[in-house]
Amino acid sequence: MKRVGFLCFVLLAFLICFPIGSQAQLKAGDPVIIGVPTYLGSIEGGESLKAVQMAADEINAKGGITIKGAKHLIKIEASEIRDGAPGVPVPEALLGIEKIILDKKVHAIVVGPFRSEALLATMDLLAKYKVPMLGTIAMTPVSEAKIIENPEKYKYVFRTCLTARYFVNLLTGVMTQLNKEFGFKKAYLMNQDVLWARGTVAGLKTWYEKSGWEVTGGDEYPTGASDFSSGLMKAKAKEAQLLFTCFDMSQSGILVKQYKSMKVPALMAGFISPMAGEVGWKTFDGQIGGVLNAIFELGNIPSDKHPPAKAFYDAYKKKYKDPLQSGHGPAPAYESVYVLKEAIERAGTIEPDALVAAIKQTDRQGVMGRVKFDKGNQVVYGTDLSKEAVAVMFQWSEAGERRIVYPSALAEKKIWAPEWVLKPGK
Amino acid sequence: MGGQDGLPYFIFHTNGIMLQGTLIYGFVNSVILALLALGFNLTFGISGVANFAYGALYILSAYTAWMLLTWLKFNYFLSIVLAVLFTSFVGGLIYRFILLRVRGMPISEVIASFGIGLAILEFFRFLGFVGSEYTLPVFIDGSVSLGETYIDIQRLLIVGIGVVLVFFLWLFTHYTKTGLAFRGMAQEERTALVLGINSDKMATFSLAFGSGLAGVAAITILPLGQVAIEGGYSALLNALAVCIVGGLGSTGGVLVASVLIGFAQTFTATYIGSHWMMIVSLVAILVILVVKPSGLFGKQKELEERI
Repeated sequence: MKRVGFLCFVLLAFLICFPIGSQAQLKAGDPVIIGVPTYLGSIEGGESLKAVQMAADEINAKGGITIKGAKHLIKIEASEIRDGAPGVPVPEALLGIEKIILDKKVHAIVVGPFRSEALLATMDLLAKYKVPMLGTIAMTPVSEAKIIENPEKYKYVFRTCLTARYFVNLLTGVMTQLNKEFGFKKAYLMNQDVLWARGTVAGLKTWYEKSGWEVTGGDEYPTGASDFSSGLMKAKAKEAQLLFTCFDMSQSGILVKQYKSMKVPALMAGFISPMAGEVGWKTFDGQIGGVLNAIFELGNIPSDKHPPAKAFYDAYKKKYKDPLQSGHGPAPAYESVYVLKEAIERAGTIEPDALVAAIKQTDRQGVMGRVKFDKGNQVVYGTDLSKEAVAVMFQWSEAGERRIVYPSALAEKKIWAPEWVLKPGK
Repeated sequence: MGGQDGLPYFIFHTNGIMLQGTLIYGFVNSVILALLALGFNLTFGISGVANFAYGALYILSAYTAWMLLTWLKFNYFLSIVLAVLFTSFVGGLIYRFILLRVRGMPISEVIASFGIGLAILEFFRFLGFVGSEYTLPVFIDGSVSLGETYIDIQRLLIVGIGVVLVFFLWLFTHYTKTGLAFRGMAQEERTALVLGINSDKMATFSLAFGSGLAGVAAITILPLGQVAIEGGYSALLNALAVCIVGGLGSTGGVLVASVLIGFAQTFTATYIGSHWMMIVSLVAILVILVVKPSGLFGKQKELEERI
């Protein structure tokens, strides 16, 4: 009995000291396994998986990834971790990620956690098992700070999507334009009570205060909230000219409908996930003309001024017979597979440490613009496609078209404000 | 200062508008909660079954209406009638083929019905019913002004439908044979059996009827936003909160609890903070379980009322 106990102890000690990481060597014909653990039940998660599959199919159609002269196909292993669903605790999401690492023996992960709270917890798991990850949904900048603080431990964590910090940059550009064009300087802020949205609002609030805007008030709504009348009443009573919104839950569609029915004379601008895709016009019965909504990564919306973005958008629509609905996730998910392919080919191995070093050297022009990582392993976002990846703000026209209005290099139309916002009560 | 344009007038005027709006939206919120809870309460009151598949039936009804409307291009009114009838039928089937076998074992009933609910909701997720396109049109588009508060016509219709439904339920349970049998079952099942009321048949009807009411709630409330799987879970939670506070099985209790929770949620959102709104119902449950576990008007735990 003692002997069995001792053997168990030795085995346990071995497992702790040498955790089961990704298989460092591939035999001929072995696939490169990419894990996609995320909240697949969300529009962003589901469409990101499809974008990953699309990229993998394209690469496989050309023979796969070349490692030291041998071709290896890409195999996608998806896992539903439900971290974005109301009431699902972070540990449950972590279990899902650990399971895909251990059971499916993934060589790398793309997309990753939906919620920032889950991303932060996942970072230790990735460090433990030495699995590189290219995150494409969770947006908190806190993860970058952790990487900068402890680069050796968290070097496996990369992100190709927009972060709250870059989202604030996009917003401040739009706000400056709104102030210049229409003299707007009073804003009311409504956001979902989740990490990335709180971070965005905090950043934007600081900018408003420094830039002479007045923040007339704000409301935070828990995930799942379905009545926004109180916030809208306050925004109206406090005579806000701009209603900033920041939501990624499906119930936020109710906010848009309530905003219209309560005739709030303020221009709605920000991010509401159900309003991002072209189907949004039908969802909101054609009543969202004038509303501004962000698209976090170019490619999730097509642009004639950047052919790769249009090519990706059209290819997705052709392959899956439906247009993209997400404003966040699919384009960087698609890009991440190519980033990974190129990094594996550069490294000539799927050994994690060599692979992350190769990912770090990435410099490619893709659907979102230029993809390059900073010291926090974050893709740099800005307004110049040749230098950075780009996020855009579009505005719904009265005819139901999404027209990019910011940044100016990609703008298809000048930003405008409906009459009922400029002259309330008339 | 102090005139029509002064700061004190502005504050007073603004607060007046806010109060008026809060009262109006608080009332609408109360009716929405009552609509959500009526079906759950009716089923429990008659058959004693806590139907935890209630939220899933709520969403099933909405998706069915959407499919009939979008895929089969049915008329909207016909779609919602068929969706409600289908949901009732599914509710009846759930009792007949699953819950009947575990009837009288409350824990098993809860586990079985919750399992069915999970299966229905997650099956929709598996089929890909996720996205912005799942919306139902409002009955009448537009909004009207009540004083200085704008409100959409759909919300006014919800209030109207809620009031009509309560009146209909009262008439049904007082003046129809099935309704009287329901009441007989609710008062004392064994005595009802002696009087020739088939308790299994009535329990099946009660499940079907309760599910139908979930369907009515769904097709009335969900046009305000989108049809989403998560809506099923929150509908069940809201229905449970109202029934626990009001007293399981008590229609009067459901109405009173809806008003209490509905107004408390709206006032909390307006005057304290929106992020506290969601915990109002949970706090109400906690308080009622500590102070009066049977609920405001509930009788199931008060032995003396059984004798």
